[in-house]
Amino acid sequence: MSEPLLEVQGLKTYLQTGETTVKAVDDVSFRIGRGETFCLVGESGSGKSITALSIMRLLPKDIAHHPAGHIQFTRYENGQSADTLDLLSCSDREIRTIRGSRIAMIFQEPMNSLNPVYTVGEQIMEALQLHWPDMSDKDARHKAIQALREVQIPNPEQRIDEYPHRLSGGQRQRVMIAMAMACEPDLLIADEPTTALDVTVQAEILRLMRELQERKGMSILFITHDFGVVAEMGHQLAVMRLGKLVEQGSVNDVLNSPQHEYTRQLLAALPENLRKQKRAKILQATQQKHIQTESRLIEINNLKVYFPIKKGLFRHTVDHVRAVDDVSLSIHQGQIMALVGESGCGKTTLGRTLLRLIEPTAGTFKYNGQELSQLGQKQLQPYRRELQFIFQDPMSSLNPRLNIAATLTEPMAAHGIGANKQERIMMARDVLKQVQLDPDYIWRYPHEFSGGQRQRIGIARSLVLNPTFIVCDEVTSALDVSVQAEILDILLRLREERQLTLLFITHNISVVEYISDEIAVMYQGKIIESGKTDDVTGNPQNPYTQKLLAAVPRLYH
Amino acid sequence: MTDTVIRTSSGYAKSILVEAFRHWSARLGLIWIAVIAFFAVFAPFVASSHPYLMKVSGEISSPLLQHLTPVDLIILSVFIAAVVLWFLKKPLGFNVLAILITLAVSAVLSYSLVKPPQIVVYEQYREMQRSGEAEWIINAPIPYSAKDYLRDYGETGMEAPFNDPERTHIFGTEQSGADVLSRMIHACRIALGIGFVATGIAMVIGIILGGLMGYFSGVVDMLGMRLVEIFEAIPTLFLLLTFVAFFGSSLYLMMVIIGVTTWPGYARYVRAEFLKLRQMDYVQSAIACGLPLRSILFRHMLPNGIAPVLVAASFGVASAILYEAILSFLGLGLVDNPSWGQMLYQAVQSASFFWWMAFFPGGAIFLTVFAYNLMGEALRDAIDPYLKKKA
Repeated sequence: MSEPLLEVQGLKTYLQTGETTVKAVDDVSFRIGRGETFCLVGESGSGKSITALSIMRLLPKDIAHHPAGHIQFTRYENGQSADTLDLLSCSDREIRTIRGSRIAMIFQEPMNSLNPVYTVGEQIMEALQLHWPDMSDKDARHKAIQALREVQIPNPEQRIDEYPHRLSGGQRQRVMIAMAMACEPDLLIADEPTTALDVTVQAEILRLMRELQERKGMSILFITHDFGVVAEMGHQLAVMRLGKLVEQGSVNDVLNSPQHEYTRQLLAALPENLRKQKRAKILQATQQKHIQTESRLIEINNLKVYFPIKKGLFRHTVDHVRAVDDVSLSIHQGQIMALVGESGCGKTTLGRTLLRLIEPTAGTFKYNGQELSQLGQKQLQPYRRELQFIFQDPMSSLNPRLNIAATLTEPMAAHGIGANKQERIMMARDVLKQVQLDPDYIWRYPHEFSGGQRQRIGIARSLVLNPTFIVCDEVTSALDVSVQAEILDILLRLREERQLTLLFITHNISVVEYISDEIAVMYQGKIIESGKTDDVTGNPQNPYTQKLLAAVPRLYH
Repeated sequence: MTDTVIRTSSGYAKSILVEAFRHWSARLGLIWIAVIAFFAVFAPFVASSHPYLMKVSGEISSPLLQHLTPVDLIILSVFIAAVVLWFLKKPLGFNVLAILITLAVSAVLSYSLVKPPQIVVYEQYREMQRSGEAEWIINAPIPYSAKDYLRDYGETGMEAPFNDPERTHIFGTEQSGADVLSRMIHACRIALGIGFVATGIAMVIGIILGGLMGYFSGVVDMLGMRLVEIFEAIPTLFLLLTFVAFFGSSLYLMMVIIGVTTWPGYARYVRAEFLKLRQMDYVQSAIACGLPLRSILFRHMLPNGIAPVLVAASFGVASAILYEAILSFLGLGLVDNPSWGQMLYQAVQSASFFWWMAFFPGGAIFLTVFAYNLMGEALRDAIDPYLKKKA
């Protein structure tokens, strides 16, 4: 065992919201050694971030309090342990000397965590000079450039004077890391540092963090919900659920032989493991149940969607953003076609264009032989019933003012499904049963449901019209892994029952491998590779696809 | 386990109202407006020279009920309908329709059936009481009508509060001898009416035009915004002065002019909200489901974008009341019917200043405008997500 750096003993953090007390962290104990990476894994609301904020004492005093627990932090001078400090009971002045210089923190959202009115350099230099007050501006600037070089920002001498909005999400997260590392902390707390980033950028950031850790010998408390990332990063692992640690141990032990029931559930819900189970089932059944026909349901030919960039006094168009650039694709009846790509590659625009929520600039697409791209709104009306969309964010995709009954029956009434209100309500209840929700939920309002339940309602809304083709836009990316497994299961089952054809838009490769029959990889508005999922993921031809697949954090190598 | 149902309070609108009226300031504002509304509805019952009941030569009669005007009856029947609907708890559209039907039916009935006596002699009741002709009389709490000029008592009829032990004028009387409190109570109708009707006109125009601008954007938006700018350039007060000078003063004309010149503010709010809501997933989903435009605009977008308009409306009501007070104060308001501004005008007209004539109506204007502003502030805080998070 390595020398101890941080020891959390029986930590309790209770949050007071009005009348109710939430036990956000309930009797949590763990220990982080020097130079070690400790991963804290759990689903949303399990209390992982609250644990990190408790260590930094960043929770607002009027709502959070600690009825019990100690956080022992050991300070080292020249490699020798100097003294131990209880972070929960020490004075505000002492904790300020710890924050930033001994324990640094990086946050999930790189877009919000840098101040937009200061340059990158000014922000790093401010952090440096706060902790070394006698450092001159010149030295600080030099050190800041060095820090930027360490996190592999190209041209640090120039980039240091740039404002945050000029940097991409990945670069901002690098700047955040540079800022955190500039003061050479003993412990880096990283709260979901790569969740908001694309998978290729995530791979680079993770590699960078590992390298820096080795070079500086610091410890990392790594908070994540992604077991793949854990397998890449961690030495030690703790699984958190409802404020309690249910299991902890070395990463290999926990991942390979999980002891606690909850850990097993979480691991089994991972798409990679679901896929293994599916394979096993298919082998048993000897042949696939649903028959794929060769008839093309959707045919896209040279589709282009450009958004004009307007400039100047007269708002003339100077250029276009080529969101979808000359895409041709066909989707066979009864298939799940996955559309994969990183953020900003145009996959959502393509999906929305197929439903004419966005008007195409050029090119055509046919549904069942019928040209849709040129139809007027009136002629489009019957096809609105057959083509449906499921949205990414379950929070914003349901009208907060309408109850579920109104949300589900209104589209039916608009298309003349069901003779009267009673009949439509009965049909809506049936659909709710199909997405595994209690039919009596129909009288409730969206805010009464959890994220996973709302996503089921979103699926139910698209099903009430009895469509044949559904575009699923990142339907599981806002959900926890166990909920994701349930939603994917529902989609697969519905596909069998209703002979649905799905266009499954996602950035998550392991979900694609689990659910889809065919795959199309999109990059900068173009489809660069497509084919049977197993063929493409097993033997990618395009260099970008290869890079994308290599970047996916895997549980088992 | 993660799928436990989260239960919170019911409905967004309700939670906003609960949040807004948690502050004591907003509650005080609401109480004051409720008091004004009570007086507006029941003015003829609270302050009237006509007795509730009296017995003259063996005959029991109710002069008060005989002298109710058609307007009194319309207001009363709408009020009763509103109270009944409040307890029935029907949807909003049904309520609005029911109120409008009550308004129309009661207007037709009362104007065709109710014919109050044209010539009113207020003095007769006091005469009867003094001479003992009436065996008994039950009077209203404030036994003076708004236009009951007691000219026969002395030169001007001017009296300070509690001046004469025989006649209790709590707030005194004005030059022609009418009771100040009674006039103020009857003026509540104008104060509330002009605020609500003028703001209502402005909101209807603003919501429709702003909604179309926000939803269709593009050319519709550009033309609409130019129209908004044109109307914003018109100074409401001077337009009002001009119209009053040409066409004489009429309450309805004032309501229309204030409504027609103040809608751009509401249109801007609704446009901004609709531009934002247009991109929301549930609106996109409504389009993808092929719902009719009417439903998308009024079911899916308007209820979610109405909150800022309501905040603006509560300030709008306050400013409409001020406009009427300003016009009346300048002597361009209503001539004979009492209004708070007109009473202030009378207070400064006479050679010497009588404090009670200015203090009470001025205070009423101040408190009413203040109350609306308090409620507006509270509503604004309640819909502001940034302030809410801090709390």
